[in-house]
Amino acid sequence: MSSVSPLPQSIQPSVSLVLDELDGVLFGKRHQCELALTCLLSRGHLLIEDVPGVGKTTLARALGQLLGLDWKRVQFTNDLLPADVVGVSIFNTDQQQFQFKPGPVFTQLLLADEINRAPAKAQSALLEAMEERQVTVDGETHSLPLPFFVIATQNPGEQRGVFGLPESQLDRFLMGLSLGYPDAGQERALLAQGDTRAQVESLKTRVDLSTLQSWMDAVDEVHIADEVLAYLHDLVLATRNESTGLSPRAALGLVRAARAYAFVKNRNHVLPDDVQAVFAPVAGHRLTGSVSAGARAADALIRSISAP
Amino acid sequence: MRLPKLVLKTSNTSLVMESTSLIALASLLLLVQLPHILNLPIWVSLAGSALIGLRVYALKTPHNPNWHWVFSTASITTLAILGALCIKLHYGYFLGRDPCVAFLFLLVSLKFAEYRRSADATLLLGLSCILLLTQYFYSQSMVSAIVTLPAVFALGHALAVLRDPTHPLARKPQLKLVGKLLLQGLPIAAALFILFPRPPSPLWSLPNDAAGQTGLSDTMRPGDIGNLSQSDEVAFRVEFNGPPPAQSDRYWRGPILTQFDGYTWSPDSRQLESYPASEVPGALEYTVMLQPHNQRWLFALDQPVSIPEANGQPAPPSSKSQYASLSVTGQLKARKPITRLTRYTQRSTVSDQFRPAVGPNRSELAYPSNMPRTVELVNSIKAESDSPLDFVQKVMQRFNQLEYYYTLQPGLLGDAPVDEFLFDTRRGFCEHYASAFTLMMRAAGLPARVVTGYLGGEMNDDYMIVRQSDAHAWSEVFIDGMWRRYDPTSAIAPSRVEQGLRNALNQTSEDAFSTLNRFSWGSRLGLAWDSINHDWQRWVVDFNNRSQASLYERFGLPALALWQVTALILGVIALWCLWVLKTPLSQFTRRLPLPDKLWQQFEQRLKLHNIERERHESPQAFVERACRELPHCRAQISAVADPLLLLRFAQLTEQEKEKYVSQIKGELKRLRKALAEKPRYSASNTPTRSSL
Repeated sequence: MSSVSPLPQSIQPSVSLVLDELDGVLFGKRHQCELALTCLLSRGHLLIEDVPGVGKTTLARALGQLLGLDWKRVQFTNDLLPADVVGVSIFNTDQQQFQFKPGPVFTQLLLADEINRAPAKAQSALLEAMEERQVTVDGETHSLPLPFFVIATQNPGEQRGVFGLPESQLDRFLMGLSLGYPDAGQERALLAQGDTRAQVESLKTRVDLSTLQSWMDAVDEVHIADEVLAYLHDLVLATRNESTGLSPRAALGLVRAARAYAFVKNRNHVLPDDVQAVFAPVAGHRLTGSVSAGARAADALIRSISAP
Repeated sequence: MRLPKLVLKTSNTSLVMESTSLIALASLLLLVQLPHILNLPIWVSLAGSALIGLRVYALKTPHNPNWHWVFSTASITTLAILGALCIKLHYGYFLGRDPCVAFLFLLVSLKFAEYRRSADATLLLGLSCILLLTQYFYSQSMVSAIVTLPAVFALGHALAVLRDPTHPLARKPQLKLVGKLLLQGLPIAAALFILFPRPPSPLWSLPNDAAGQTGLSDTMRPGDIGNLSQSDEVAFRVEFNGPPPAQSDRYWRGPILTQFDGYTWSPDSRQLESYPASEVPGALEYTVMLQPHNQRWLFALDQPVSIPEANGQPAPPSSKSQYASLSVTGQLKARKPITRLTRYTQRSTVSDQFRPAVGPNRSELAYPSNMPRTVELVNSIKAESDSPLDFVQKVMQRFNQLEYYYTLQPGLLGDAPVDEFLFDTRRGFCEHYASAFTLMMRAAGLPARVVTGYLGGEMNDDYMIVRQSDAHAWSEVFIDGMWRRYDPTSAIAPSRVEQGLRNALNQTSEDAFSTLNRFSWGSRLGLAWDSINHDWQRWVVDFNNRSQASLYERFGLPALALWQVTALILGVIALWCLWVLKTPLSQFTRRLPLPDKLWQQFEQRLKLHNIERERHESPQAFVERACRELPHCRAQISAVADPLLLLRFAQLTEQEKEKYVSQIKGELKRLRKALAEKPRYSASNTPTRSSL
């Protein structure tokens, strides 16, 4: 079926290359890797929820490394101050004026580790940065570099010492993912290989900034048929039947994510399958506040709506 | 709270029953049986309800092995046969309303006890509907309609529960759903009630429908009317086409009694029919709604000048009516006993004397021999009178001036009842006076007869209620070629005629009339209630083909034939169902776009091989599953599906579309061939080696 190959020949190999490299460090997490890439390509922020030690940080670091993004990491703790995230104005005695000292948020890929261990004040410092892609300190607005992604990890709510993210902040993450334990064979391979840290460090940059930009532009060009859009809308409407459902912002994000997923899957059109694939990651954490419970709720909704 | 499942195992089937549906059915059946308890023998009601209770009780200990044989087919059948025998013994016959209803009552309970499959539930729902309807064999009043409402709700509830017993809804949404269903059913029911073709006469009739109904009988013994007059039941209601006659002119003539055997008055069985000649000027027209009384009497004011037809309208002048007859004595009679509410329009001339077509016959002069004192008295009065009219007047005066009492407790009479009453006890009710007066006339050589019927009636808004307590007896005497009405009661208790029975009794005697309430608010309440009942009867029970036709006429609709109305109704029901089921008509008429049509063909092709797309399954996931399940056709399935998915969801130019369409059509044919071939599992278990 070479005649129906939908994407320019030059793009696809590098997309699958990135995925293959990710797969090399995260054993057996191909689907999650695809979704993570989808999230970044749809210019969305990503929330990864899982127990410690299943590769959340590894995924974030590997993505930054492979996409050649300038990345920084903030470990959220319960004494973290907003200034520790966005930066602070310091009086410069030489120049006799305040000088803005940018915080770790001034980067292309921000890895916010264990975001729900920080109190609400520090969490909300991220809010403005994530939505507006700018930071205001002492009345002065500073733009963030572009592209700007936040990959936040969080521990499941039932663990000790966590502050749940408020709904407003949850809504700012396009997708919520859960990695889960690797299956037996893949874990064996992981154990045989030993620590993946060094391997992540050694990952080469595969994509430069202009290529990444061209990918994002290509995502916007992906065709979504009316029938598929109607199906997507049915799903969104179904979320509103029971409790507070998806907002129009989330619905727009769902369309973007479906397009990006089709792109990652090497198609220039969206299938109903793409909508189903991204529905749980996009809707889940918004519906229930928890990624794993949300995924179950989203699956139940998918089952209740007839696909085109 | 989820109730435990009842597991019943018999020799042949393993039975699993959700207790929710069982309890829903049990409550339905009990509510359906409830209105019957008064109609059926007590042992039938007890046995039926106990069986249902036992089956529900069995839910508590579903694993008790004893239940298996208790509810086995053998024991249920035995009980059914036993029940049928007992019913036959109880009633003495089997084919009739009461034994059949009693048997149905038992059968419903037995079927419930035997409940196994969901098909049984459907049967039980049908049976309970029928049992619910049989209630109307006994009464069609508004109260009996209201009594069935809980059962109707339970019916909806049982339907909703049985729809999906494994996923019962919570109580509140369930009740809401049932309420909604019933409300949706209301307009259908109303439309069917009004529009459904009604045959001019019932398709079948039940014997003894009106058995036990009170009313005038065709004979009169002393005390008969007195007993009847203690009943407050409605005998008939009348709507006047004009002003109603005065209270003292409301003589509703019923049975005319000419034969007297010393104790009982009975009618003359040989009576010539007469036909009213033509329109009589000044005749009063009115419509009678007669309660079933299981006799053939039709009641009319004084002299009827029309005969009702089967449709209730007067028959044309000088012609015979299939429905009723009018005798030369002015006796209006239906040809069959009145077993259901009957409505007829009647014309009468209101007058206390009329000239008959045929003169009196000999039997109207006969009197028994055991009344010597009476004959003596008659002769002495006759000697003083100078004309028959004068004689009658003197007799009436005698009743009026001597001490006679109008009472419900006349005391016992001996071997010569007429003499004893006239000279000794002097206490009597209307039948005593009418009887004695008539015999006195006969003793004087004047033809006379007793007429029973009703006197009076109470106006309630625009219609008149005539009750059994208005039952009355009076005399007609033939003088100068005319039958003249004389009411001896009016000589003793004039207020009976002018104001009604209650006042008459209050004034003339100390009789306690416990069944009649004297409080004005009570009687007003009673009248309001009767007004509601009258409307119910007029608009609901009595709604027949005639009312239907007149309704059509009022709205300017053409009178439709039976089959036309049937077709119309079926059409409306079909449209309604489509609307309720939310099936847009366009689904049948709309042509699917070509890509969807091709996809449908693809799905249908795979469906033939038991691979059916689930509702929520996305197209590609479906294709992948099909490839997995039919590995020998994998290549061919993708050959159809890949371009098909592009055609449906990708953005294509017209040329590309055409190319794909023709490609898909070709591949679909090849897919059919590939699917038809037997999978060669032995040769190639690996789908990649498929020769296709």
